[in-house]
Amino acid sequence: MEPVYLFGLINQQRSWLSTRQEVIARNVANANTPGFKTLDLKPFVSAPESGELGMVATGALHLSSATEGELSVNQMSGEAWETTQSGNSVSLESEMIKAGDVRTAYSLNASIMKAFHGMWISSLKG
Amino acid sequence: MDALSAALRIAGSGLEAQSARLRVVSENIANAQSTGKAAGSDPYQRKTISFGNELERTSGVRVVKVSSIGVDATPFNIERDPGNPAADANGDVKLPNVNLLVELADMREANRAYEADLQVMKQSRDLMNMTIDLLKGTS
Repeated sequence: MEPVYLFGLINQQRSWLSTRQEVIARNVANANTPGFKTLDLKPFVSAPESGELGMVATGALHLSSATEGELSVNQMSGEAWETTQSGNSVSLESEMIKAGDVRTAYSLNASIMKAFHGMWISSLKG
Repeated sequence: MDALSAALRIAGSGLEAQSARLRVVSENIANAQSTGKAAGSDPYQRKTISFGNELERTSGVRVVKVSSIGVDATPFNIERDPGNPAADANGDVKLPNVNLLVELADMREANRAYEADLQVMKQSRDLMNMTIDLLKGTS
């Protein structure tokens, strides 16, 4: 039971990291779009701990959860780096820092996955 | 569409938008001295570019698009040059409202944004490869 749960947790973090990478890509691509606010994901916490309630999409016209976990930086006080005259708050430097974080975490995640997979295989082979 | 492929798509749209911006910059610089054809007519007018967000229906991803290419309405530079074919009755020639310094600064900025987009693209591919590498060596 436990290895399965572990793989599940690793998978959740991996998909969180991929989504964060997507958000970073969106920020960087919109570095010169007027009025664009920097987006970021809420920090990763495993599902049982967060206990937060989200809204359920009950109709086909409801927006999907693609933007649900995101909030723009200026909602959190003091996080924005700089806002230009056009209302754009993307800072390429901070995005590169975030991208570095994602890379480190992703590589750790992949290594853990590999290690546990190795253990699993060796217990199968005996 | 999975998140990493979406990241690649978005970064790609950023590259596209920034290269369109570079094109506008090069048009402006190339035409920095283009006067009008007839005497006293208006010369080349500096172009501006603006970006916007758009939902790409085929992939469900919000990509960057060039939202408008407009013209700069600042007044033209006027120079006295009676021998010029485009000079008006007073001998004044209207020259384009292109400021080379501004264009060069814009070009630098577009370059930076392009590099950042490329960096994101590279990294997204690396992340994909890390996942694929899990399959290696565990036969």
